[in-house]
Amino acid sequence: MVAQGIPEIGAYIGFLFVSTVALIIVLRLLITPRDPRPTPEKKKPFESGQIAVGPGRTRFIIQYYPYLLMFVVYDVIAMFLFAWGLNLRALGEAGSLPVLVFIIVLLIPLGYALHLANHRENW
Amino acid sequence: MTDLLFLAFAAVTIGAAILAIEARDLVYGAAALGIAFLGVAGLFFLLDAAYVGWFQIAVYIGAVVVLILFTVMLVGPRMGEAPLGLKRVSLLAAILVSLLLGMTGALANATAFPGQDSCGSGCDLYLLSTSLLKNYGVQLEFVSLVMAAAVIGALALSKTDRGQ
Amino acid sequence: MLGPLQPLVDMVTSPLFLMIALFPGLTSIAIIGALLGWLERKVTARVQLRIGPLYASPAGGILQMFADLIKLSFKELFVPENSDAFFFIMAPTTGLVIGAALVGLIPFAPGLQIANIEVGLPAFLAIITLSPSLVLLAGWSANSKFPFIGGLRALFQQTAYEIPLWLSALGVIMMAGTLNLAQIVAAQSTGWFIIPQALGAFIFLVTSVAEMERLPFDLPEAESEIMMGWQAEYPGVLFLAAQGPGFVKLYAFSALFTTIYLGGFLGPSLLPPLFWMLSKTLVVIVLIMLLRSTFPRVRLDQLLRAGWTTLLTLAIVNIGITYLLVVGLPTF
Repeated sequence: MVAQGIPEIGAYIGFLFVSTVALIIVLRLLITPRDPRPTPEKKKPFESGQIAVGPGRTRFIIQYYPYLLMFVVYDVIAMFLFAWGLNLRALGEAGSLPVLVFIIVLLIPLGYALHLANHRENW
Repeated sequence: MTDLLFLAFAAVTIGAAILAIEARDLVYGAAALGIAFLGVAGLFFLLDAAYVGWFQIAVYIGAVVVLILFTVMLVGPRMGEAPLGLKRVSLLAAILVSLLLGMTGALANATAFPGQDSCGSGCDLYLLSTSLLKNYGVQLEFVSLVMAAAVIGALALSKTDRGQ
Repeated sequence: MLGPLQPLVDMVTSPLFLMIALFPGLTSIAIIGALLGWLERKVTARVQLRIGPLYASPAGGILQMFADLIKLSFKELFVPENSDAFFFIMAPTTGLVIGAALVGLIPFAPGLQIANIEVGLPAFLAIITLSPSLVLLAGWSANSKFPFIGGLRALFQQTAYEIPLWLSALGVIMMAGTLNLAQIVAAQSTGWFIIPQALGAFIFLVTSVAEMERLPFDLPEAESEIMMGWQAEYPGVLFLAAQGPGFVKLYAFSALFTTIYLGGFLGPSLLPPLFWMLSKTLVVIVLIMLLRSTFPRVRLDQLLRAGWTTLLTLAIVNIGITYLLVVGLPTF
């Protein structure tokens, strides 16, 4: 059983994508002039006139990596919460009990994060 | 029309997955994985599960691929050749995987899955929500415990990294 | 009458096609994006007691952005050496598509909505989650220090603020009982959601400003610090492709805010619903632009900490408040 909106949104997104890509390609090819004076400096990375030294992909901000892990988990949590919140009026209090326990269980790591955040040297 | 769309999405998923594994540059592989997830999302839309489809996009492409991209960029720009010359072993692996998939497919065909939950013309989101909370409440708590453990683990990881 | 061209003419004149092509679709998005660029410069100029764009006539330099567009198109397009050309070009292009896709989900008037899907609100938020990976790829692909740092900052900033965004939108869903944006507007006929959802609306506003990487959250762009961050290496038309989604997202987020908190196109029927929708959206846009002129830039660790602790906690508090409003006090 095909979803109702598939042909519309599929056509819509396809149209958007193709048109945007086509637009940019056309603009670029038609309007941008050929390089009359190719010099190696043009293609060097931009550092306000300073000559770039060292690798381009440097200084990784690794210390915030756990935030990304938390993001993945909380994104999944959002899915369950949305399924619950949608039906709130019909579920009432009895139906919301599992979700309330769900949220309370998830407040524990949040509290831990708040506790860690107070010790600034760890973040 | 449905069949055509299904074939298209399946082709995209499988093709992108192959690209993801075979790509020399891992960043391209991660991006191909994102396309594969997009194909899976399309399959969800075909099954009239728009809710799951959009969250597939949000969670897998929006979060998991981001995580993989970040990790890949951390490891290095290129992984080069396959680390072990695994020509013989890959043939054996291919045979075993085909056997496994074949058996799974045959099993799935033979099983009588419980019928649709009287979905009618499109599964109702409210029905999904109610059945999730009323019938699967305990499972939901297990899920929350797993996720809480994951978050606490991630936070604990941040502490050990500081020691360097 | 036109023979073989008839199906083509039918398709071109069908309402859906007109909506996609003209309003609220591609043409209007492009024009509004350009106008928002002009508006931003005017608003910030007035706040700083300047005049802003003036010479591109007819009225107060309103054609300035189009002049910029023409100028940028004539600039030489090159890709920095050692950079990854594929992602360098594709990342901002896809960003443009995402911006336009966002606008397509918004109901501008009863029936004036490109894609009226049942799960409109999660769809909008899901499309937003694609943005951090694109910025990361754009910053990485230039193979240059400043864009890469900017890309990383953008990644952490956007992922940090997406969760409070989702959770504050959850408050609206709890009150409206539906995921469909047009129905959410209809559900506000008895009262705009901004009143019971004041906390949620505040969180939504702050997190969407962070998602758009606008001041005070423009650390990834940080003009005085890392030279336009992940956009630093983008020449000519690609610069437009990198900057454009910023304005389109401003438009889309303000329109979404209006839809879910300010009653969308609802208003006294002496003026058409489209007028109400656009004027409310304009108020939100100007408010966000005033934020730019008012607050200093937030530092990265302060920003991440605020997002993950303060805003997340407030969002959960908002969920609790909304629960009490909808279901009532728990009877134990």
